[in-house]
Amino acid sequence: MATDTGFLRATYNLLGSIRFTVFLLLTLAAGALLGTLLPQGMSQPEILMRYGPQRAHWIQLLRLDDLYHALWFQALLLLLGTNLTVCTLNRLPKTLKILSRKENEINPERLLKFGQHATFATPLALDQARSAMEPELVERFGRLRVLSTSPSFTAVAEKGRWSHWMLYLVHGSVLLILFGALLGSVLGFKGFMNIPEGESTAQVHLFGREQTVVLPFEVRCDRFEVAYYDNGMPKDYRSDLTIRSQGEDVEKRSIRVNDPLTHAGVTFYQSSYGSDLQEVELSLTKADTQENFRVSLPFRRPVALPGTAGDLQVVEFREDFQGFGPALAIGLYRDDQEPTGSWILADRPDFHGNRVGDYQVQVLRLDKRSYTGLQVKKDPGVWLVLTGFVTLLIGMGLSFYTSHCKLWLVAEAGNPTSRIVVAGRSNKNSLAFESEFNHLCERLRLRLQAR
Amino acid sequence: MNSSLLLSITTFAYLICALLYLLAVIFRLRPLLLFGTLSGFATWLLQTAAILLRWKESHDLGFGHAPLSNLYESLVFGAWAVMLIYLITEVKTKQRALGVFPATVAFLAMAYASFSPEVSAKIQPLLPALKSNWLIAHVVTCFLGYAAFAISFGLSAVYVFHGFSHPEIDDGRHQTSWVPDRKHLDELNYQMILFGFLLLSLGIITGAVWANSAWGSYWSWDPKETWSLITWLIYAALLHARAVQGWRGDRVAWLSMVGFVSMLFTYFGVNFLLSGLHSYGSS
Repeated sequence: MATDTGFLRATYNLLGSIRFTVFLLLTLAAGALLGTLLPQGMSQPEILMRYGPQRAHWIQLLRLDDLYHALWFQALLLLLGTNLTVCTLNRLPKTLKILSRKENEINPERLLKFGQHATFATPLALDQARSAMEPELVERFGRLRVLSTSPSFTAVAEKGRWSHWMLYLVHGSVLLILFGALLGSVLGFKGFMNIPEGESTAQVHLFGREQTVVLPFEVRCDRFEVAYYDNGMPKDYRSDLTIRSQGEDVEKRSIRVNDPLTHAGVTFYQSSYGSDLQEVELSLTKADTQENFRVSLPFRRPVALPGTAGDLQVVEFREDFQGFGPALAIGLYRDDQEPTGSWILADRPDFHGNRVGDYQVQVLRLDKRSYTGLQVKKDPGVWLVLTGFVTLLIGMGLSFYTSHCKLWLVAEAGNPTSRIVVAGRSNKNSLAFESEFNHLCERLRLRLQAR
Repeated sequence: MNSSLLLSITTFAYLICALLYLLAVIFRLRPLLLFGTLSGFATWLLQTAAILLRWKESHDLGFGHAPLSNLYESLVFGAWAVMLIYLITEVKTKQRALGVFPATVAFLAMAYASFSPEVSAKIQPLLPALKSNWLIAHVVTCFLGYAAFAISFGLSAVYVFHGFSHPEIDDGRHQTSWVPDRKHLDELNYQMILFGFLLLSLGIITGAVWANSAWGSYWSWDPKETWSLITWLIYAALLHARAVQGWRGDRVAWLSMVGFVSMLFTYFGVNFLLSGLHSYGSS
């Protein structure tokens, strides 16, 4: 049992040590670095192809291809969170002790041992000296706490006591951010949906997983538009969306990049777009007889060729075929012959290769329907994270630029001069406090000269 | 008079400024230091005017936006930020000889922006993804942080060099009148790192909040984000080691230099070597 408690104690000591914090911070940095050297989210065959079986084994064992979601990386984050909690709690009694320390008397000889101290002689009597110094001290340090007025005058002044708490605010904020992120990853989801113009859907495809989430409402894309600058750069992507619930339109709004829509805790972001081919209209001319007819073909559906025992089908569509613009792959299937097919350039009707079997083909019309690509997210932890961000920054700013400064003052009556000893201490930034203290002493010295 | 002409003049003026500081330090010519400061301040004013003019020019082209949208503009702003922070520090500490490094950095950034064929100086309209009020807050805070880290790198180098050249003197009382003694250098360096760390945190957080409103995720482990976090972790480790472990001096100086290298990689390396959400920063 003794070894058990010894082990527990050692673990607890490790978790509460700042050395361990520094180690964890640097290890996390190194781990995160590793993840930027390898493309994340590669497929298994891709890894095998790029790195060979030997290295692929290690990559998959350590999950370097999805490092930030790997168990060991999350464990490091968890350790950091635990370490932060233990360190912060360990520190609490010390802080409380510092803040509750209230001396009732001051020994002037002890003050002389302080890093910052000064001694003056003044011809003023004690009460005169006090009234000469008090405004200066009150202005810089707030209220004076007077400990005694005779035989000697002793007092303490301090400011920035609350700055001790800023460290807790900073560390609490980091924990809040980590907790919010955890909450979001457990209770939320992230995915995408592509909606063709005029259609609606409730299915969200999750990123990196073969899964879908079905929303309790439908989203319809009424219209999608891209606007361009004069130089051809895209200027704006816009989708007009309608939220539909139980057959009724509930909410209508346009979204843009940087301007999402949130409905029932689910947020929709404009993220991509594209277009699907619906139907094409072709003009076919038979090479030998010059017989010409028109035909409409829905994408990927075979249609019987009029007057023949064969089918025509648009097999594939490319927006840009090797720099020649939009092109259709058209196949011709006849019972008595081998199937034939060819790429037809839609924008170049005179191209001699626009030919399938013994037909010269000309594209008269391309019916495309554009779809909008939405990123869909539900993250119930985001408010905790955002709150953590704000409090983290406030805490950091205040803890970097404020400090707890304390001043001790003893004035002893004497003949012909009174002796005054001032000492000061600050919990951080000693050089800045040194110059502040020296400046204060200079002012006191002036005020203590005979009037 | 247009902004590119002004920025070209700025580039050469920073070179002159850096040379003045350097010559003053090498030949121990104190009056020359003053000219270094004056030229640095004048150049900085000129550059401020040039940046504002570029802003106005983008409005005249019909798509007005703050000049913080691509690599060229960020380099110009980075040089501006380094000189701003340095000049304020110089006024506050009355230490002039430390200007060699910041002025050189400002010149190199401007020269790289002006002469590298990879960097386009053309004023371009904003991509839809960058059209947000967060752009200014995010870029300004990040680059002020970067600038503070750059200056901290210079201070650390001086500190370490100081240690090599006077290894026996480490009592804080030794005053070579050209640079502050090691104790004050260490403290100044610490203050610079604190400022840089605060601004880097602000930069990362404004970026996260922006990403959250633009594409729904405050953190996506994009290489730029990850590298800024790596930089943040290194400086966080430094601050904890210094505050609690009592690390002072050389170790802090070396760690600060490591942090600066990480910051440089965040800025340049990620743009050129890794791809991700910030790829528009590379042209």
